[in-house]
Amino acid sequence: MPPSWLEDFRKAALEAYEREPLPTWRRSGFWTTSLRDLDLDTLEARRYEAEEELPELVRDDIGDDALGGLVVQRGASTIRSWIEPALVEQGVIVCSLEEAVESHEELVREWYMRRLSHDEGKFAAASAAFWTGGAFVHVPKNVRVEQPIQIVYLIDEPGTAQYAHTLALIGENAECSIREYCLGTPFEGSALHAGAFELYARPGARVKLAHFQDWGPAQVHDISTKRVEIARDAFVSWVPIHLGGHLTKQTLDIVTAEQGSDMRHTGLYFTERSEHLDLFTTDRHEAGHTHGDTVWKGALTGDSRASYEGLIHIVPDAQETHTYLQTHQMLLSQRAKGDAIPSLIVETDNVSASHGGTVGELDEEQIFYMMARGISRAEAVRTLVEGYFEEVVQRLDDDGLATLVRRRIAEKLLAAEDQVTEFIGERAG
Amino acid sequence: MSLEIQNLHVRIEEREILHGVNLKVSKGETHALMGPNGSGKSTLANTIMGNPNYEVTEGKILLDGEDLTEAAPDERARAGLFLAFQYPATIPGVSVANFLRMAVNARREEPIKVKDFGKVLREKVEMLKIDKEFVSRYLNEGFSGGEKKRAEILQLAMLKPDIAVLDETDSGLDIDALRIVSDGVNAMRGPDMGALIITHYTRILDYVKPEFVHIMLDGRIVQEGGPELADKLEDQGYDFIREEVAAGNAA
Repeated sequence: MPPSWLEDFRKAALEAYEREPLPTWRRSGFWTTSLRDLDLDTLEARRYEAEEELPELVRDDIGDDALGGLVVQRGASTIRSWIEPALVEQGVIVCSLEEAVESHEELVREWYMRRLSHDEGKFAAASAAFWTGGAFVHVPKNVRVEQPIQIVYLIDEPGTAQYAHTLALIGENAECSIREYCLGTPFEGSALHAGAFELYARPGARVKLAHFQDWGPAQVHDISTKRVEIARDAFVSWVPIHLGGHLTKQTLDIVTAEQGSDMRHTGLYFTERSEHLDLFTTDRHEAGHTHGDTVWKGALTGDSRASYEGLIHIVPDAQETHTYLQTHQMLLSQRAKGDAIPSLIVETDNVSASHGGTVGELDEEQIFYMMARGISRAEAVRTLVEGYFEEVVQRLDDDGLATLVRRRIAEKLLAAEDQVTEFIGERAG
Repeated sequence: MSLEIQNLHVRIEEREILHGVNLKVSKGETHALMGPNGSGKSTLANTIMGNPNYEVTEGKILLDGEDLTEAAPDERARAGLFLAFQYPATIPGVSVANFLRMAVNARREEPIKVKDFGKVLREKVEMLKIDKEFVSRYLNEGFSGGEKKRAEILQLAMLKPDIAVLDETDSGLDIDALRIVSDGVNAMRGPDMGALIITHYTRILDYVKPEFVHIMLDGRIVQEGGPELADKLEDQGYDFIREEVAAGNAA
């Protein structure tokens, strides 16, 4: 029997879910994110049995990297939950959230949904009401975990509704690296991933966090909220990577909540075909003497649409905050459309906060320079786009994941090579 | 093998800059092309390399007899041409070493072995007195003027073209950097390479001695001769040449 406190959460969320209409997100200008082609009634939370072997896509993308722990969810079911035995002795927990509710109830209850709410729209409510499986990570005080802790959400059949919830609690002065992958196989048809992610870095903790999303060409709708809270003198480097999804609407917030907390937030997206990506990030500074450094870079091919909006919000009393946000977007096809909007709300004085945004195309002078060295136009374009993203890939500080990201970007560029080369050529001519 | 420019007319944005330039640079020769600002020197350099912003309306560019007038820049490079840029582009995220390997491989059937490439690169880096860290930096990102020019000469040394055009490689260099760059160019000189050194000043010619000097004014080559022509220019300046040309035209 699930504990009553969790039942209360789910009940309130279910009420919100039934009350809330199917949302449409509009902004000034051309931008609308609508869920017209999503029929919730045709979706179901599919269950799967755990098997000896992990699905091929999951195996390929994780690669040979040694891991500290692994939780894999396929559809609605946890199909793998593993932790390095040496870490268990140190009190580290890596398991599904369902299991953690039973075996570590007090800890989960203390932190569950602290920074998330079912009251943030229909899909936040859906995930809070219906989540199954999920993931729980706890690294206790002063413990250092060397190998990455890996979480995977996989969707590999049409008609799947996946309600996900990850809760990570990194104790005082603890250190770890967490990777959450959202992967989809190339099936025909529609699916939904409604995700919730919350991470709490306690005082003095140091966390490397990466999100890697590649749903592939299937019609996966990803509507998720991810929130990271950083306590006193703790540091989180967060790298969300978006490399594929039919429709993605995500809210990503990073909060420096106490004095001396520090964060680096580095994002990357690459959209192709008719993908639609809508990202809203907030760097929220709630205490004085905090620091932030945000860089987001994107590229668009095909008929895709991508909107990145990045807000720096410094609340009253958060004096002596130093933060900046840069966003760049590169259009690589005639028909792609996007925007990148940085903004700023500062409610106190004595802070330094700056932001900048560019939307542009590849520079013909750079292409000429490379061609003058014998490099073909196509290779020059590919190299320049890869070089443009390299700053972000470096910030991953994770060789295994960096290799995966570089490979996917190279594949996407190769797939779009003709249109990209032609587009850049037309601009020049 | 030689680069031959025949009656070259070049336009940029509806304005004709070069009005019929003839020039021949053969392997083993070093030529200097001198002229004041705005005379069309850089236009010639960019047109030789195929910069799409410049339109050839008449005339030909031949390399070893092959017509490259309409060829894409990468074909020209693979055919044996090289341009050291006056203002090299920045290539973020691509290290000097990776860029060089890409350029070296662009003109080979089989990619060069990493070990062989490393060995050649080390040699050239030492020759040009370049800091070893330099090759791990992103190409031209945050480089000083002198570093950019050195990166150009490093590329020249690695790519070993048949004909190299150096566009104002001397500009913006202090005397030490100028000497290092000149030593690099001199080390490359020989029967295997022809060079066209484009410059406003005679300074670089104290270090890299040309056999042939051409003077360009208003989109035409107006005087040609040996090294003595550069000395004359040093003593008397472009205005003197301009007057001579005007007098010649009047006569």
